[in-house]
Amino acid sequence: MRGQNAVLGAAGLAAFLALGEAVPRLGLVKEAYFPPTSRIAEAFWDEVADSAFWSALGDTLTGWALGLILASCAGIVAGVVISVVPYLRETTASTIEFLRPIPSVALIPLAVLLYGTELRSVLLLVVYASFWQVLIQVLYGVQDVDPVADETARSYGLGTWARIRHVLWPTALPYVMTGVRLAAAVALILAVTAELVIGAPGLGARIAVAQTSQAVPEMYALIVVTGLLGLLINVGARTVERRALAWHQSVRGEVAV
Amino acid sequence: MRRLLAAVAAGTFLFAVTACGSSDDGGSSDGKGSSGGVTTVTVGLIPIVDVAPLYLGQEKGFYEKQGLKLKLTTAQGGAAIVPAVVSGQYQFGFSNMTSLMIAQSNNVPVKAIANGIASTGEDGKDFGGLTVKQDSAVKSPKDLEGKKVAVNTLKNINETAVRESVRKAGGDPDKVQFVELAFDQMPAALDAGQIDAAMVVEPALATIKSQGAREIASSLVDVAPNLTVAMYFTSTQYAQENPELVKKFQDATAESLAYADAHPDEVRQIVTTYTKIPPAVLEQVTLPKWPADPNRASIEKLMQLGEDDGLFKTAPDLDKLLS
Repeated sequence: MRGQNAVLGAAGLAAFLALGEAVPRLGLVKEAYFPPTSRIAEAFWDEVADSAFWSALGDTLTGWALGLILASCAGIVAGVVISVVPYLRETTASTIEFLRPIPSVALIPLAVLLYGTELRSVLLLVVYASFWQVLIQVLYGVQDVDPVADETARSYGLGTWARIRHVLWPTALPYVMTGVRLAAAVALILAVTAELVIGAPGLGARIAVAQTSQAVPEMYALIVVTGLLGLLINVGARTVERRALAWHQSVRGEVAV
Repeated sequence: MRRLLAAVAAGTFLFAVTACGSSDDGGSSDGKGSSGGVTTVTVGLIPIVDVAPLYLGQEKGFYEKQGLKLKLTTAQGGAAIVPAVVSGQYQFGFSNMTSLMIAQSNNVPVKAIANGIASTGEDGKDFGGLTVKQDSAVKSPKDLEGKKVAVNTLKNINETAVRESVRKAGGDPDKVQFVELAFDQMPAALDAGQIDAAMVVEPALATIKSQGAREIASSLVDVAPNLTVAMYFTSTQYAQENPELVKKFQDATAESLAYADAHPDEVRQIVTTYTKIPPAVLEQVTLPKWPADPNRASIEKLMQLGEDDGLFKTAPDLDKLLS
């Protein structure tokens, strides 16, 4: 089953790459603007051999990781506090719904004004965008707490902290994991976008330089790199999720009685 | 309650600030990061051929001689550079003259302090050109009436330049339809027929020409002979507080400009260190001129044309901008 999936996946990818080679070669699109796969691969190896590429990759990953950690911590803490403190949820609901849809990229002028083209500009955008992903999931997760379990815990005299630890957290954890996984992808998108638009060092800035330099194959090669990065991050996030939720029904599966 | 949310958000950002504070060498934000008599200044640039003299001057030690160390950072355009200079994130920046005049007329406190680039002044041999597809029916800028012309930014220097080319050819610039398109996308758009003409600068100009496109005007040359196209600038506040530093930057930049102007081969070499322009394209690129001083008469002409076309809300004060 697993092997079959891998074969099918590889076949799909091979077909896609072949298509990428054939379309420009057949003249359906101009080679100058959409180079064939082999030409992009060539540029890709040139990039990999360049030390500047690796430092750009490091910059992007730093922005992504720091941003994700900050957003996750802030989202979890804020989510739990909002849910636990009475009335806080109603008070913040409209504010959250107002702030959440603001696209992070709309904050680019503010980021530039505050921090120029430094890492901090990237972090501002990344944290803003991924914070909501985590927060909203935490809020949903807490809502899902079984009232009977909660009441039982109460009647057994468990304090607030103990109830958060033993009742609320296990219920919310699958939601938190979903939130963090979504945030991981959003954080990467925003990190690359910020670099691309603002010019903060990283893969995005490198794509922009390739673009303004008319270095088309290099540009596509770097775009492929960001795609691969997204893929790896998603796989990584899923692995973490499976580990953390090994006890949970969704991962463990129903036990046949 | 709302305050709590704000506090959480503020705390997050504060954490973000401190978390990466260590990667900041201190010289970039306050501009006084001097160690051993060397002051580090951050300069916001666009990664194009135009700013090669600064990279070259840094390499040749012209800035070091003045006790300056440049931290050259690249941004995608003036939209990121101007606010960063005004807010003090960068000490110096690079911008085209029209953008600087627009900023000045909007009371943005900027001061142009060192020359950036000038057009070559040679018709047909400039670093920017108005181009059409090889088989286009457009023979002269006059024929652009009713046609779609791409410029990198609407209501800015290149639109002014194209309008002047059309006017000089006896056409009505108000009948030209301008569309905004990034330089690097112009070759493809022109090729695909999405636009009828493109006002393009290097290295996209070399790419467009290699496709066989025809140049129907050197629009920057049409504005004024030896037009000052872009300059280095700082914030008024920084200029007032650090007159010696600005003077040092000016002197070192003047030396770098002169050196770059005299050594085109070294310019082409250094360009490869901060752009990815393919060698074949770079060979074909027409370099701009790097005179030591801006050409005030040409800037006045550019301002006049910009005023006629309604680019400024109030007239820019050139004495304040350039003094």
